[in-house]
Amino acid sequence: MSLQPQQHEPADPMMPAVRIRDLRKAYGAFEVLKGVSLDANDGDVVSILGSSGSGKSTMLRCINMLETPTGGEISIGGEVIRMTQTKAGPKPADRTQVDRLRAHVGMVFQSFNLWSHKTVLENVIEAPIHVQGRSRAECVEEAKELLAKVGIADKQNHYPIHLSGGQQQRAAIARALGQRPRVMLFDEPTSALDPELVGEVLKVMRALAQEGRTMLVVTHEMGFAREVSSKVVFLHKGIVEEEGRPEEVFSASRSERLRQFLTR
Amino acid sequence: MDFSFFLSAFLRLLPGVPLTLQLAFISVGLGMVLALILALLRLSGIRPFEWIARAYIFLFRSTPLLVQIFLIYYGLGQFPTVRYSVLWPMLRQPYWCAIIALALNTAAYGSEIIRGGLRSVPEGQTEAARACGMSRITVFRRIVLPLAIRQALPAYGNEIILMVKATALASVITMMEITGLAAKLISETYRAVEVFIVAGSIYLIINYAITRVIHLLEYWLTPHLRPVPTPGVVEREDAV
Repeated sequence: MSLQPQQHEPADPMMPAVRIRDLRKAYGAFEVLKGVSLDANDGDVVSILGSSGSGKSTMLRCINMLETPTGGEISIGGEVIRMTQTKAGPKPADRTQVDRLRAHVGMVFQSFNLWSHKTVLENVIEAPIHVQGRSRAECVEEAKELLAKVGIADKQNHYPIHLSGGQQQRAAIARALGQRPRVMLFDEPTSALDPELVGEVLKVMRALAQEGRTMLVVTHEMGFAREVSSKVVFLHKGIVEEEGRPEEVFSASRSERLRQFLTR
Repeated sequence: MDFSFFLSAFLRLLPGVPLTLQLAFISVGLGMVLALILALLRLSGIRPFEWIARAYIFLFRSTPLLVQIFLIYYGLGQFPTVRYSVLWPMLRQPYWCAIIALALNTAAYGSEIIRGGLRSVPEGQTEAARACGMSRITVFRRIVLPLAIRQALPAYGNEIILMVKATALASVITMMEITGLAAKLISETYRAVEVFIVAGSIYLIINYAITRVIHLLEYWLTPHLRPVPTPGVVEREDAV
């Protein structure tokens, strides 16, 4: 298939796709992230594990500024997101920079968040046409290929509400791919699914990993993390408790907390 | 029953229909634009803007439309600045006074309906839009507004029907729309009951037509809320 991840700027190949340095996030006095650092290079599949409240989703949502960090630094493809201080706390200095960088980051949500008033095909072509300004004909053609790739080519004219959860999540993955992103973020993509529907979504994600997509995945699917990731990060109470290759982390964890987490 | 009188009354009132429709549609159109602006001010998160919108809505919802019409028709001419302004050629005509009063009034109600629609848009819908790099304006134009319109349409349909009926009040400032013609006919014939039955029936027909159009619009805008599309039905049968 001709749908290799196409590189737009920011595409400094020497720089990691995502670099997080000393990331902090606090809600009032409560610190969710207490200085997290992480690199994801092109082609990496990073699984982010941790019990609920460990800050893993918050970290992922800071990468594309859906949450505003209270400290630290995020760069996408070597470009640092510029922040500024206000009375209400830090915020992005340049909203257009954030919008531009977001276009390179595909996001898949736990609750799919497909636009309910648009068909599956319209969901996929929305950002390519209205954010990236590509031609409609080209986008439609590419969207059809993407929908075929995730196995729902026959659903292109359906509205999200008429699809099963697994189909909706695969449509959401196709939508994120439509952006031709440099990196994809998955925020617990299978947590809202009935158990029998988890497999079809994981299968699509495995295929993406195999074709060399850069992915950051917050997940509770240990099998996926062990078999597909190039790196596993275990967050505990807002800090990286352990990170490494899956075989090291799963078979020879140094951290007692991680061992407890894995045996639950 | 004197059917020939009903028929002749109907024919006498019919010429008022275009004016009634003009008053209703122009004021609803202008009012809708103002309503959207007011709703955005109200949701802007900027205190002074919020208070301006709140005060406006409070003022226009809490006083009778009839009083508003009188104030605009008789009141504005009291001010020399208004009389010598470029708007005076418009403001001296009862036609425009009626439209302005109706539009200002419906904007207050409409803005609350639109505000409800805007607030009903789920967070996840806008989050997905922001996440793919849409600017604030694009998010509003492509995602928030279309969803809000679909949500607000039934309530706004109600408001449009109320406005058609409210145009009857324009007759008190000399407008010869349906009710104005009816009053004139009654003063000629002294047959108030028959004439008002005919006038009421004409409003009934207009509003029936409007209800159907809004219903159709709603149906056309919400394929995503209908049970299952036709191809889906076929597939379901296959699956079984």
